[in-house]
Amino acid sequence: MIKIQNLYKRYNSRDGTVNDWVLKNINLIIPKNMNVGLVGRNGAGKSTLLRLISGMDSPERGKVERQCRVSWPIGLSGGFQGSMTGRQNVKFVARVQGGGLNVQRIIDYVEDFADLGSAFDHPIKTYSSGMRARLNFGLSLAFDFDVYISDEAIAVGDRTFKNKASKAFKDKVGQSSLIIVSHAEGILKELCQAGIYLKNGQANWYDDVNDAIKAYHQEAHP
Amino acid sequence: MGTMQTRTSWQVTRSVWFAMFMREAVTRTTTDRLGWFWMIAEPVAMIAILVIIRGFIDGGKLIMGASFVPWMITGMMGFYLVRDGMSRSQGAINANRALFAYRQVQPVDPVLVRVFLEGMLRTFVFLLFVLGGLLLGLDIFPDNALFALFGWISLWTLGLGLGLVISVTGTLVPETAKIINMISFPLLIISGVIMPLHILPHYLLKYLMFNPIAHGLELLRLGFFSSYKVVHGTSEIYLWLCILALNALGLLMQLRFKDRLKAQ
Repeated sequence: MIKIQNLYKRYNSRDGTVNDWVLKNINLIIPKNMNVGLVGRNGAGKSTLLRLISGMDSPERGKVERQCRVSWPIGLSGGFQGSMTGRQNVKFVARVQGGGLNVQRIIDYVEDFADLGSAFDHPIKTYSSGMRARLNFGLSLAFDFDVYISDEAIAVGDRTFKNKASKAFKDKVGQSSLIIVSHAEGILKELCQAGIYLKNGQANWYDDVNDAIKAYHQEAHP
Repeated sequence: MGTMQTRTSWQVTRSVWFAMFMREAVTRTTTDRLGWFWMIAEPVAMIAILVIIRGFIDGGKLIMGASFVPWMITGMMGFYLVRDGMSRSQGAINANRALFAYRQVQPVDPVLVRVFLEGMLRTFVFLLFVLGGLLLGLDIFPDNALFALFGWISLWTLGLGLGLVISVTGTLVPETAKIINMISFPLLIISGVIMPLHILPHYLLKYLMFNPIAHGLELLRLGFFSSYKVVHGTSEIYLWLCILALNALGLLMQLRFKDRLKAQ
């Protein structure tokens, strides 16, 4: 379960001017074992909310209580050091997450899942965004997180990889859940039960993801 | 896959340091192909030039209780230890920015790891120089090895304190990097690496001895040459007050600006 209480977040400029709140007084309880889809316009604060949930960033006011293991935001960018190879990056993360003696097993799993061939031993900066996302996605699956956080990551990749990815998630149903941001509504409808709709810094919870998508459409085409 | 129980903060930090150390060690020794070469060539070139200059001005007689070349090797190695602590931590946070995506990794981690790694490399190079010097017949075997070690560690922690502060200012205000690079050479001179400080008039020395590096170098030399006359005003107490103050300030700044360092 993830509890979000009175959460406020804004990004202040370096010259000291105060910007508007990106997220304003967010109160949410995300229950265990429920897949949640996050919708909203570009810049509505979806990625910011994911960053706060994953603990990558800290809120200005309020708090996020994580009573379970939460992944980092799996996305198109970030999480990898450009000058290191895919293998070195995976090794680093495996060690950080406390892989201990399992580091080699984790590397083998990710190499197999991401299926990058010889590119696995090339620097990350030579990767395409799709290859990066595949690696990031495979890496996150190597650990038993209770909640996976995905920022547009599942929609990437070719047909075979997409099938592999959603199969991997369906295998995890019952043990782990998902919080995803995606503009591909088919994926949201297929994987999620509940939805969160972000608008003007406010978050609205919908027990059915279809209602969240409907509310979002009403904003887009009134 | 990975069997993962809840870990204590200390366990998390330790695994981050281990992972970061392995990563930095690999990058430091493989991507920078001439890194190893310069680490040895820079002091050798510096010493060679100064020995030649010394032939003209004969500065060696001004040092009391130690011969010139060993005196300079110890000073230069000690100075580089501090300088690298500063310069390598400047870029530490930006170079590892992508890794802050994992909430376990904090901005202070790459700084600590880099200073540690750099110090280990410098220690190794220093030992090589001592060994090489002994083979060449120089009088560079430490008379009081424990005291020399104390001086070395003092300089190392001084570099750590400066590194902690500079990594914050250098990341938030990129202009500081230019200033640090600019003062690096004058600092070499006013710390008494190539020219003994006691030849300077008292009114000048009074101000130069505010520089903690000079204190550290004198103490390191005293560990090597027991008959060495340190510069008037050298004090372990002052040195360690500076070290503790800088480390405390650096850690406080890391804590205070944690979010801005991550977000930058």
